[in-house]
Amino acid sequence: MISIAGLSKNFRGNDRAVAALRSVDLKVNRGEFFVLLGPSGSGKTTLLRAIAGLEKPDQGEISLDGKIVYSRSRGLCAAPEERQVGMVFQSYAIWPHLTVAENIGLVLTHGRLRLSKKEAAERIRHSLSLVQLQDFAARPAHLLSGGQQQRVALARALAINPALVLMDEPLSNLDARLREEVRANIKKLAVQIGMTVLYVTHDQIEAMVLADRIAVMAHGEILQIGKPAELYRQPASALVAEFFGSINWIRGIAHGNNRVETELGPLWVADSRHCHGAVIVGVRPEDVHLQQSSNENENRIEGKVRSSVFLGDQIVSEIEVRGKILIAKGSPDDGEPSDTAFVYLPRERLVVFSDRVPSNSLG
Amino acid sequence: MAVAISAMALLPVLGLLLLVLWMGFWQNGPGEPIIYTTSHYRKIFTDAFTYKTFLNTVGFATTAVLVALFFAIPLAWLVERTSLPGKSLILAIVTLGALLPTFFTAMGWVFLLHPRIGIINRFLMDTFGLAQAPLNVASIVGMGWVEGLGLSSIAFVMIVATYRSMDPSLEEAARVHGLGIFRTLVYVTLPLTFPGILAASIYVFTIALSAFEVPAIIGMSNKIFTFATFIFYKIQPLEELPSYGVAGAVSTILIILALLLSWSYFRLLRFSQRYAVVTGKAYRPQPIELGSKGCILAWSFLGFYFTVAKVLPLLLLVWAALLRYFQPPSWAALAQVSMNNFYGLPWKLLLHGAWNTLLLMLAVPTLTLFLCLAISWTVLRSGVRFRVLFDAVAFLPHAVPHLILAIATMFAALFLLRNVVPLYGSLMILVFVYTISRISFATRIINNSLAQIHPELEEAAFVGGLKLLQVMRKILIPLLKPALVYAWIWMALLCYRELTMASVLVTSQANVTLPMIVWGLWLGGSLNQAAAANLVVLICMLPIVLLYFIFGRRRRIAESA
Repeated sequence: MISIAGLSKNFRGNDRAVAALRSVDLKVNRGEFFVLLGPSGSGKTTLLRAIAGLEKPDQGEISLDGKIVYSRSRGLCAAPEERQVGMVFQSYAIWPHLTVAENIGLVLTHGRLRLSKKEAAERIRHSLSLVQLQDFAARPAHLLSGGQQQRVALARALAINPALVLMDEPLSNLDARLREEVRANIKKLAVQIGMTVLYVTHDQIEAMVLADRIAVMAHGEILQIGKPAELYRQPASALVAEFFGSINWIRGIAHGNNRVETELGPLWVADSRHCHGAVIVGVRPEDVHLQQSSNENENRIEGKVRSSVFLGDQIVSEIEVRGKILIAKGSPDDGEPSDTAFVYLPRERLVVFSDRVPSNSLG
Repeated sequence: MAVAISAMALLPVLGLLLLVLWMGFWQNGPGEPIIYTTSHYRKIFTDAFTYKTFLNTVGFATTAVLVALFFAIPLAWLVERTSLPGKSLILAIVTLGALLPTFFTAMGWVFLLHPRIGIINRFLMDTFGLAQAPLNVASIVGMGWVEGLGLSSIAFVMIVATYRSMDPSLEEAARVHGLGIFRTLVYVTLPLTFPGILAASIYVFTIALSAFEVPAIIGMSNKIFTFATFIFYKIQPLEELPSYGVAGAVSTILIILALLLSWSYFRLLRFSQRYAVVTGKAYRPQPIELGSKGCILAWSFLGFYFTVAKVLPLLLLVWAALLRYFQPPSWAALAQVSMNNFYGLPWKLLLHGAWNTLLLMLAVPTLTLFLCLAISWTVLRSGVRFRVLFDAVAFLPHAVPHLILAIATMFAALFLLRNVVPLYGSLMILVFVYTISRISFATRIINNSLAQIHPELEEAAFVGGLKLLQVMRKILIPLLKPALVYAWIWMALLCYRELTMASVLVTSQANVTLPMIVWGLWLGGSLNQAAAANLVVLICMLPIVLLYFIFGRRRRIAESA
């Protein structure tokens, strides 16, 4: 559906050029819900806008539905109105001088379709019913609440039956409760209509709930593409691992044979991507298990519980192991941890990367 | 203390307005026993001449608005929404245009379109064998055209601000969903910017309604009056005695009109801001590619604008300044070109005027900023009960025509304060009224900047033991410095070109200013000498303009709107 190759874009600032996209390659399949995830400034919105035709890239090629819409080498750049996509903007971009129905009608009668008023009315009714706003058709758009405007924006994007719908952080201006509701609605609609969606967000929970596949972006590059669980369990880099939630980092030297000499002592790991030299081993808090006693030795180290906080559905503890603090999340059913405990780090849950200080620029 | 200073600054504003009101009910001239009457009002409302002047004024202001919008809307769209190269140059030149004295372009256009000597008229008559001049600058439309050219800069700046406050994704949403450039413009951009454009129109209309320079330079000698020149004529008539009562009555009507217009302007502005969505995203939209054909069209339009608004009047003034008698360019005329007009200028008077103008440029902005700092602090920080009132009064000098402020000041100096302070004919009286007239502008700028400084910054200093004066000096003034510098330079430039208020209050060599000397020569009939003097005045202005571009330009003149 979307095919992007070698896409680059620089923004010229006051004194220097900032690379917003660095040779990005991407393929999105028909019917897929694809999420671009990254912190602000990662280039995800620029990528979306380049696909819509709102931003002109410097290099590369974009094709939509097998049709090239941008190609530097062929000197081709189709105008936004020629690309046949629907789009939901972060600010919703609902035209405040029109009514709800007119907002959708303008696109149908004066957009590419050039429908007659009568044909348009039928479509308006249908697309408003998709977002449960049938009764609001005659309402002036600027009198709607944020959540309603968001739904009108969605209805407008869907009204022209686009092959592809682009969404630019459509939920970021809604309050938390509404966000969850609308999120579920969007997912349901996407499945129901079978549309291809490219969705930009900086919220990893949103991404995991919605996406068939996710591309994690930072500094204008795609770091990793995969299904939500893949990205969580098998991050390709420390950066991606950090972006999907908190993680403990342990320094060490890998000696092959899945064995790492770490600051906490020797650890066995299943991850064999980096088996020599200085490495960092990552383990998520929920994979740090606390045990009172231990019969086995593998990946079990004695530590002191420094603090422990009850959060209802979980207990978060700080454990000092050989002078280093590890964060552990456990079930309250396991009981309050005692002062000393054995920390167990299951080998298949440890991720290993060659050592560089994990960047905090994410998160 | 700050409250006391602002009260001191604002009381004269109210005083002057009440004086105008009072003046309108005097039967006789001042000095004679006061008898109250409503006869002036009766006379005004029954006199056919009033209605003619009213129609003149409205026609003049309407033409000015149409001309200003005709240039400003396309220019603003080109600068804000397209990929046209050289945008910063356009912005700089248009800003410069706002500084060009209106009496300057007015004189230039007289040489172009005067029914007898105007070279465009002569050209058309010779080419088409016409018996009469087809165009006449000394008409309502002619004067409106010249005024509109002058006001196009302000209209441009305001409309640019309208485009900037509009969420660009509203236009992008139209493009993405299949509306082309043209349809987006018609169905989205124009309807959404309409309230802003209407507000700008009212603003420009209000200025034109009480504009003095163009009607004074072009219209008065041809007996075409607008309200401003009519009032002026009643104060300084050629034949009869001054009629302060009529001037006061007409002024009162004009003030009420201006206040009504200002009120509707603010209503509209608030209405237009309802559409401005805050996105939180600070991206500038991708500009529309014009293509080579579009670029040629755009630059032709720009070229036309700059030619008629700036270049042609300037060229004509240079040409007129070099000739003894004005005549269209020809080989014969070229042979007569000389610098005689420059040699013959009253240089001693000019030097004196330059000195006075310089003093005004230093004193007025400084004094105004001092007072307005106190007013802004009172309004925004003091928590005094009537602070809204301070804000409202500080706005009045903006709405009230400056000509009327000057007349009221003259009236006060001549008849009320005559034996207390000898203000009449002094430079001090100019300092006074110039300062009063700029209070609105400076307060607005300082208010805008002060509102962005968190009060806790000062409170931290108070808690740390600093006194109010120290807080001002050490905290507020350094933080406000960019705004203060910008306002100072802009006001200095306005002082330099001020003719309207000077025309009423300059009565002797003691307080003569540069623009007044130019005007004096013009009224005296030495048009070519006036042109030469005008060029000298313009050249002297250049260093200050340079200063503005170095220090003040970072802040947009939009704030003056």
